[in-house]
Amino acid sequence: MNLFYTMLYPCDKVRDFMYGYLEGELPMLTSIRFHLHLNGCTACREYLFLYRKAANAEQFRKENPPPDELLSTTLDFLKREGIVGEADSDGPADAVPPSG
Amino acid sequence: MAPALDFEAINTPDFLGRLRESGAAGQRAFGELVRVTHAKFLGFIRRQLASPEECQEVLQETYLAVHKGLGGFKGDSKLTTWMFSLAHHKICDRIGDRQRSHVELTENREAALSTESADDALAGATAWDAAPDRLSARNAVEALIGKAIETLPDQARQVYQLRDVEGLSGEETAAVTGMTAENVRVQLHRARRKIVDWVQEKMTGAAASGPGMAP
Repeated sequence: MNLFYTMLYPCDKVRDFMYGYLEGELPMLTSIRFHLHLNGCTACREYLFLYRKAANAEQFRKENPPPDELLSTTLDFLKREGIVGEADSDGPADAVPPSG
Repeated sequence: MAPALDFEAINTPDFLGRLRESGAAGQRAFGELVRVTHAKFLGFIRRQLASPEECQEVLQETYLAVHKGLGGFKGDSKLTTWMFSLAHHKICDRIGDRQRSHVELTENREAALSTESADDALAGATAWDAAPDRLSARNAVEALIGKAIETLPDQARQVYQLRDVEGLSGEETAAVTGMTAENVRVQLHRARRKIVDWVQEKMTGAAASGPGMAP
């Protein structure tokens, strides 16, 4: 770690700026100091890598697809409640597969 | 045959009108709604409740609430945002019931998150070291993030799930949870930091746990 760069901001402060950085909301001077710190701090660069990963978590929508019987169970339940019709609970799915 | 629907097509005034039709037409539209949305909403619920049976019940209760509330839905938000809001409240009811009976949701989740499963996630993390570009075990990192999400406190997990996993905007997340936009920001940042800290702790532990972990 380069002490000159990290003197500008301590690591914990830089990590608290990561939300604003990803949102593009950092003021100019803060942004410069933020980048200078990152330039000299491997640990914070790694932290930013993981923070960005955590913030782009769409892939977790697709993991663990629902069990096959979920749709028919749900539709059967709603049929008993009178919310969907006979054909809707028994027929094949004609909509696109759910996006997970 | 009518064109296939996708998740966003659910949000059109045309589809809302179909849902509100009486008789077979309305029932058919509701069936389409379930087909297109059930996997997404199950995923949302499953991230917050551990029991598969409970997830199924909450999903069904959510659809019942959607059907019951359709007449009063004014269209101030997307239909799917409103549905997330209903699902969120059903989940909160379950969590509240558990807390009242002194069964902490997080304890159940911790139990479900066994050491074995964390070890499975770490199995691919052997490339971790202190080099700047060392996060090459991408799948292992993502697997760990998946595990870390499960360790978040309830409120932070709900916000994170809505905002970063489901992709709702800050305003939509605030509308669903009833939080202020500023509180959503605070909770979201807190959740991300907790995730990163958890992942780093696990990976550092893996790197220090013995020979063979360094490249």
